[in-house]
Amino acid sequence: MLARHYRSFKHVLDEEGIIFSFSGYLSESILYSLGEALRQKMTLEETNVTTVKKVFSVFIEQSQNIIRYSADKVTGPDGANIELSSGMVTIGTQDGKFFIVCANMVRQEDVARLRGRLELLKGMGREQIKAYYKEQLREAPDENSRGATIGLIEIARRASEPIEFDFDPVDEHVSFFCLKVSI
Amino acid sequence: MDKLHIPATERSPEVDFDFAAGILRLSGESYPEDASRVFGPIFGALDPFLAGAAGRDIRFDIEMIYFNSSSAKALMNLFQMLDRAAASGVRLVVNWRFAPDDETLREFGEDFSEDLEHLAFNLVAADAAAE
Repeated sequence: MLARHYRSFKHVLDEEGIIFSFSGYLSESILYSLGEALRQKMTLEETNVTTVKKVFSVFIEQSQNIIRYSADKVTGPDGANIELSSGMVTIGTQDGKFFIVCANMVRQEDVARLRGRLELLKGMGREQIKAYYKEQLREAPDENSRGATIGLIEIARRASEPIEFDFDPVDEHVSFFCLKVSI
Repeated sequence: MDKLHIPATERSPEVDFDFAAGILRLSGESYPEDASRVFGPIFGALDPFLAGAAGRDIRFDIEMIYFNSSSAKALMNLFQMLDRAAASGVRLVVNWRFAPDDETLREFGEDFSEDLEHLAFNLVAADAAAE
């Protein structure tokens, strides 16, 4: 039963075209290892250099957003430099394109602002996104966002189709947030 | 200070500044948790050096493989700092080096160089040294 159970679990992932999927507490060192595995996999398959860079970049920005902004975090005891953020990162291929999906809990009070930023980016064409990126590159850092704006623009810029996102309310405190990018 | 050398880590670039020779080099990858921790010491060393470098020829070679968006902002700040130094008399040349097939890095070089008025910013498509 055990093998059958996990075989069917893996089969579901394979059917979805998933290369790998990470769910749990994400740290910068896990991000590094997953990123290396991803680059090696794509390089072995002789993926075009520019595509490898785009996929890697979206993976890093999405994972670092989870690390920074997940509403589900555990912190070490006072003074210990430990912080783990819970979330999910999934990478796969579908119809000849790569896709990267990230998901994490966000606080209800942050939903409107995040949704607004993503809708703005979704409505922009390629040249507008490029111009917006250049403008934000020259802006002083926004204290509240801790750099989220430029990270999201970078994600939208690398996408070959409009970004997709959704929020699923969990309770009065948090929503489950999901962002899908195709390259 | 004659030299500043900071070895690369998994997610931060190698810094190799030879102030005496006027040759500065930044290379590798940059996607740390906190870009200011990587770029803070770079700015800290460049600021006093550039203040005393008017009239000198300074070459800055930058050969990045990948950097995240917060490092991109830090690089833009770096170029603005270099451009101000060039405006006050430092003869600065920046060589932005990238692999010929790397469109992403070429585009970044174009984006960075757009508003820089005083320094020479060269886009150099060249095969990277063997790693």
